[in-house]
Amino acid sequence: MNVGFIGLGLMGRPMALNLIRAGHALRVWARRPESMQPLLDAGAVAASSAADVAAAVDVVITMVGDAPDVERVALGPDGIAEGARPGLIHVDMSTISPEVTQSIAARLAERGVTMLDAPVSGGEPGAIQGTLTIMAGGDRDAFERVRPLFEAMGRTISYIGGNGAGQVAKACNQIVTGVGVAAVAEALNFARKSGVDAGAVREVLMGGFAASRILDVHGGRMVRREFQPGFKAWMHQKDMRIVLEEAHRLGLQLPTAAAAAQLYNAMVGCGLGEEDSVAMLKLFERMSGGQG
Amino acid sequence: MRVGFIGLGVMGRPMAEHVLRAGHTLGVWARRPESAAPLVAQGATAYDTPAALAAASDAVITIITNSRDVEGVAFGPDGLAAGFAPGAVHVDMSTIAPEAARAFARRYAERGIDWVDAPVSGGEQAAQAGTLAIMAGAREDVFERVRPLFAAMGKTIVRVGEAGAGQVAKACNQMVMICALQACAEAMHLARAHGVDLAAVRTALMGGSAASRVLEVMGDRMVRRDFSAGIQARLHHKDFGILLDEAVKIGAPLPIAAQTWQQLNALMKQGWGYDDTSSLLKVLEAATGASE
Repeated sequence: MNVGFIGLGLMGRPMALNLIRAGHALRVWARRPESMQPLLDAGAVAASSAADVAAAVDVVITMVGDAPDVERVALGPDGIAEGARPGLIHVDMSTISPEVTQSIAARLAERGVTMLDAPVSGGEPGAIQGTLTIMAGGDRDAFERVRPLFEAMGRTISYIGGNGAGQVAKACNQIVTGVGVAAVAEALNFARKSGVDAGAVREVLMGGFAASRILDVHGGRMVRREFQPGFKAWMHQKDMRIVLEEAHRLGLQLPTAAAAAQLYNAMVGCGLGEEDSVAMLKLFERMSGGQG
Repeated sequence: MRVGFIGLGVMGRPMAEHVLRAGHTLGVWARRPESAAPLVAQGATAYDTPAALAAASDAVITIITNSRDVEGVAFGPDGLAAGFAPGAVHVDMSTIAPEAARAFARRYAERGIDWVDAPVSGGEQAAQAGTLAIMAGAREDVFERVRPLFAAMGKTIVRVGEAGAGQVAKACNQMVMICALQACAEAMHLARAHGVDLAAVRTALMGGSAASRVLEVMGDRMVRRDFSAGIQARLHHKDFGILLDEAVKIGAPLPIAAQTWQQLNALMKQGWGYDDTSSLLKVLEAATGASE
């Protein structure tokens, strides 16, 4: 398949490389040309703009920062819509708000472009290993057409529903992981401050009902004090903001997510934003009087 | 002083009347002419556009709903900026985001026009009595120039700092007031669950360390189950959206405000947005199945 890829950061680059390895012809564009180089070395072709990417492919994938970035790349000057051929599918794998996704999808549809939202979970390791969880929303036939691309990047690939449904699933994922990281950090800090070995606590908990992927992976990193990203705390802060803005709009009570979001604010505020979200442990250590 | 006034709602109308009574020449503009009629009947002059009003005024006061409305009135077609002579001042008494206020101040400064953000506290009652608390962000000399106008409308008049500082103070005000309101609602809810007389509890508390303006006024509404507005809860819901969004941007944890925000979300979902914010009591009752 002729595939375009825009957004070659921490996540996008390994995802794009996996597409090349699966035998797809890749056309890429990035605002900073140097981020394209690893892909060009692997055989991708450089385009001069998002429109230029769209003009020569069947599917364009975007993996960018936030809603305004997606909007600009899709609908802005030299954007995807300007270059699109009839029948183009735009797969946005960024994490943005469901509401904005629906609005972009509607505007792209007017210009003959079918949009899928397909945010991912699994972090950088999942992107490198091609084992991401992909949750998709949009037209079902379009989803089936691009499924081979998803299979090159991910392992658990789910069609959730119409436009925005993938982003809703991702928001749910962020509630569970955002709160989960805080719960695990709180428990391990509690163990340690109580004079108990946090590693041993984690191990025994993994045998019971508190067992979870977060306790396993993130808890393990907390015990080993591996705070380098990974998934940076400010990114989780951004995702919690999306969740709470939706709650505000819909009139929903999300008390636990709201509490966790304040902790991510605190992380960013005290200079832990560039570290992995597992540095939540450091925040709790500070809040309870140092590391000891 | 030649004073213009835009935003003749529950708050704005009595405020404008005080300015008029203090002997200033009053001009008004309203989207719906009937809103201007009561002021015109008292001697104010109505103008066709904000620009025309600005051209005839040394200072224009606005008190309207949100940042977008202020931007439209100030910088939209036929906006204030198009009419102001250099040296004129826009005194915005709406509650908007501090960052928006700072941006408006910068845009005006490029044209040699001054800006004051001067949100108020005290509600409709204080607006009528001319006893508002006014918290201003502006250059000192600009603040002193418009102080006589503030003296006509308010009792506690404080220059908090430069442009935007008034809105920061207002955000703090909203946080303290509404979180206290939530605490009062929870206390009333607890008293009721125990079958204890709410009025007696309130009276007892008003004599001690828990005494507050909120308990006095809003607590009384809860006791009497009079939830008709006061201040419409939807406006506080809007304020909390701004407040918590700012907290994300500056990396500040606001744990209690975040919880109260969720209660306000639930209040909106119940359809009580046009009632008084003391309806937070009913949110608690709805959650536990208690009814009136």
